Amino acid sequence: MSQKTDVKQGTLALMVLKTLEVLGSLHGYGIARRIEQISGDLLSVNQGTLYPLLLKLEQEGSIDSDWGASENNRRARYYRLTKAGRRHLQSELRDWQQTTEIMARFLSARSEELS
Amino acid sequence: MRALRRAWLRGWTFITRRSGDQRLREEVEQHLALETEANIRAGMTPAQALRTARMKFGPVEAIRESYHSEEGLPAMETILQNCIFAMRMMRKSPAFTAVAALTLALGIGATSAVFSLIQGVLLTPPPYDKPDQLVLVSAVRTDKQKMDSARGWAAQQWMDWGKDATSLQGVAGYGWTFNFLVRNDGSQSMQGMEVSKDYSRLMGLKTAAGRGFEDSDFAPGPVKAIVLGYEFWQRAFAGDPQIIGKTIRISRWDTPPTVIGIMEPGVRFLPSPGAAKEPNYDVNAPVDLWVPIYPDPKNLKDPGWNVVARLRDGVSLQKGQQELAVLTARGALSEKTFEGFQPQLQTVKDEMNQDGQRILLPLLGAAALVLLIACGNVAALLLVRGLQRQQEYAIRIAMGMGRLALVRLILTESLLLAILGGALGIGLAFGAVTLFKMIAIHAVPRLDSVHAGSAVLVWGLVAAVLAAFFAGIFPALRVLRLDPMEVLKSAGPKGTAGVGERRLLRAVAMLQTSLTLALLVGAGLLIRTMAKIAVVPSGYSTGQILTMSVTDVQNGSTWSSFHHHALERVAAIPGVQYAAFAWGVPLTGNNWPATIEIEGQPPAVKESDKTALPMRAVTPDYFKLMGMAQMNGREFRSTDDDKAPKVAIVNHAFADRFFPHDSAIGRKLWFDGRDKLGITIVGEISDGRTDDLTQKASSEVYLPLWQANAFSKHLVIRTTADPRAIVVAVERELRAVDPTAAIENVRTLEQIRDDSLASRTFAMRLLVGFAAVGSLLTLVGIYGVLSLSVVSRRKELAIRCAVGAQHSDLRKLILGEGFRVIAGGVLLGAALAVALSQVLKSFLYEVQPSDPATLIAVGLLFLAVGLLACWVPAWRAEKVDPLEALRCD
Repeated sequence: MSQKTDVKQGTLALMVLKTLEVLGSLHGYGIARRIEQISGDLLSVNQGTLYPLLLKLEQEGSIDSDWGASENNRRARYYRLTKAGRRHLQSELRDWQQTTEIMARFLSARSEELS
Repeated sequence: MRALRRAWLRGWTFITRRSGDQRLREEVEQHLALETEANIRAGMTPAQALRTARMKFGPVEAIRESYHSEEGLPAMETILQNCIFAMRMMRKSPAFTAVAALTLALGIGATSAVFSLIQGVLLTPPPYDKPDQLVLVSAVRTDKQKMDSARGWAAQQWMDWGKDATSLQGVAGYGWTFNFLVRNDGSQSMQGMEVSKDYSRLMGLKTAAGRGFEDSDFAPGPVKAIVLGYEFWQRAFAGDPQIIGKTIRISRWDTPPTVIGIMEPGVRFLPSPGAAKEPNYDVNAPVDLWVPIYPDPKNLKDPGWNVVARLRDGVSLQKGQQELAVLTARGALSEKTFEGFQPQLQTVKDEMNQDGQRILLPLLGAAALVLLIACGNVAALLLVRGLQRQQEYAIRIAMGMGRLALVRLILTESLLLAILGGALGIGLAFGAVTLFKMIAIHAVPRLDSVHAGSAVLVWGLVAAVLAAFFAGIFPALRVLRLDPMEVLKSAGPKGTAGVGERRLLRAVAMLQTSLTLALLVGAGLLIRTMAKIAVVPSGYSTGQILTMSVTDVQNGSTWSSFHHHALERVAAIPGVQYAAFAWGVPLTGNNWPATIEIEGQPPAVKESDKTALPMRAVTPDYFKLMGMAQMNGREFRSTDDDKAPKVAIVNHAFADRFFPHDSAIGRKLWFDGRDKLGITIVGEISDGRTDDLTQKASSEVYLPLWQANAFSKHLVIRTTADPRAIVVAVERELRAVDPTAAIENVRTLEQIRDDSLASRTFAMRLLVGFAAVGSLLTLVGIYGVLSLSVVSRRKELAIRCAVGAQHSDLRKLILGEGFRVIAGGVLLGAALAVALSQVLKSFLYEVQPSDPATLIAVGLLFLAVGLLACWVPAWRAEKVDPLEALRCD
């Protein structure tokens, strides 16, 4: 197994929003686990950035949170995407896709194309 | 939108103080529980699972911090929290807080008091429109030689400038005038400005009530319309608006003028160098009276005008000066009386601030040194306390607190301390400004306009913040290098310092010593100056002499009878030894420069070569009264009156200058041409330092008052006992002769002498005060450094003692450390003092700024006193019990 890397700066918000879009409502631990799983355990989510980020997204109105019962019957805080969050996610996705396309084009460029 | 919403929520969270701390804690707990369960499922033991979960989660404290920083307004919150914490720390050690705050208060108080003076005197612009453009045009000799007396311009010259100079927006002429408001119960002097038509417009002056001068007010014949100064209107008429439109009686004006308006408040004189020697001249006073004048077509070539001009936008002083020089030189080609002078431009602002700058800037420097010394002490205190709190800092760092956050916390503590000190200091400064206004009113120009007010508050705050920074930065920066592991491991005795700290503290003490020495040297130089001035042979006696300016305000016909009667009656008062009238009382700046021709001297070819000397006028008993010795010839007699041939007495300096190989007696002087009758010199008296105690006597000519008919003058009385005791009797006798006579400025010659030295005295007192405060602080600082050193070296001292060191050896060890600090500081301070005392140059008399005697005396004195401060710590070192000291570690 290769070395785990931290989530790249600025991409965690997108991952959190996408995770919530796919899985509905989820608590902090769940979000962290899913992201790690989806990355094939290549990413490690730093809790030090996750929880402040969740708060930030909530303050921006992209997500909402409520207390609920977890699988082991504990009180846990569940986060879900709001309408505004969905719009936010769409625009972020568009931006990201554009960025990856541009990056891909650059990285596959050969010298003759650039001259 | 999203950012806005977030900012709003954060602000709201901050204001409502609703923290999500509980929520975060529960979330963290939940997170750890779930992670632990997952780990157990993966096959770990419960303990191992929890540990792994915790390690993966990371430092909770750091997460909380970054969570909080997303939550509210973190900067504000931290500041608030830091403040609350700092206040708690201050309450916990009240003695420390009190000492540190008081120390800072002294420095802050001194600095903000002096700054308030500077703000009021130097930084408050005169109430003129765009004052930077205003320039005074004075006359200097083309060949750069010094003139005996100041000279003005002819109307024809400045009017030409106004017409031809492209660099000027306008030119106005003005003059100083002085008169009396006649009242039946004692008249009141008023000094005023005579101004040409364009003056108000040029300066941008407005009236507070009524109207200003109109063109029709500048007409031939007696003055019909005047404007009163605001302050005089308040003083003499209690601000009565009904006075506008009424006439007032002014001495020697046959037609009573009508008051047409009141000038706006705070308008002061522009300097009139030619009038500077008049008895009532005070350029820093507010103007009492405004009189319109216009150039008389018959006297266009008389050089009696002072000139002010306004430069055009963007024109430099040099350019204006060059243009006026060319115009003046061209004018001099066709007019002989204009020859030999050229204009010199100076901004009104520079001229007004000259004297104030001379005294206030050095004092600001001194106050700043006191503040620095105080900061040094507080920095040392904070450093020591920082050592005591190393454990706390180490724990904070181990818990995940950022170093910068810790620096901020520590700086907050010193800032709070400085603000407390600042509050006390501002209180001190208010008192100090009031005190300065009392003792320095003759020393600092325009001090009357300074009010202890918002300026003190603002400068106090500025000084406090600066102090917090200087005092707090070193102790705060130390935590950047703090190794928490080391500190926590050693858990050693508190309040001791390592070699590095002790070195830093010694450096601070040394710096303080050097700054203090600079202050002490400054004070020492001024003390020596005053001592030298005290033994200056003035040439006259100052004891038991009362002076007052006395003026008969009726028209000329009563002049002679008033003065004769007044002298008779005053001389008859018991306790009066001599009484005389005099224009030219020493140190009042009172003389009357006149252009004269002297027998035996070649007639002047150029106007600028003419001899202009100070004239004085006295009644016969004056020289006896003043104790000025008759050296040659005769005294004045009561028969030397306006019917007798004109006579004069000259002083030795005059005789020496003009008749070096011959007697001056019998020679002649002329005011208006050698073809006239002339004045015969009948006597020679000894020299006196009449203008300035620190200047050698200049050539003087005395005329009999009965022949010179001086309008304004002093009554001088020598008494057998305390001269102030007879003031009431003198006033009664004068009023009996003429109830309307103006009696003002009642002062003893002693007081006049003191006033003439006021700026030096003020600077000396302040410097002595600052130096005393600085010395005290520094001695406390040295004491503190050595005390800490002894405590920190207890173990070392004990070992030394155990292996056979004598008590005296230990004492020498500590005294040696103290000596090195003080001696280093003294040496450094001597160099600093030599550099800094240059600014005192203009206050010194017969003492050089780098006077070695002062340097050595002050250095040795401080070394001696400083070693006294080392005595207690040294004594304590001696008392260290080796057994106890070794056991307690």
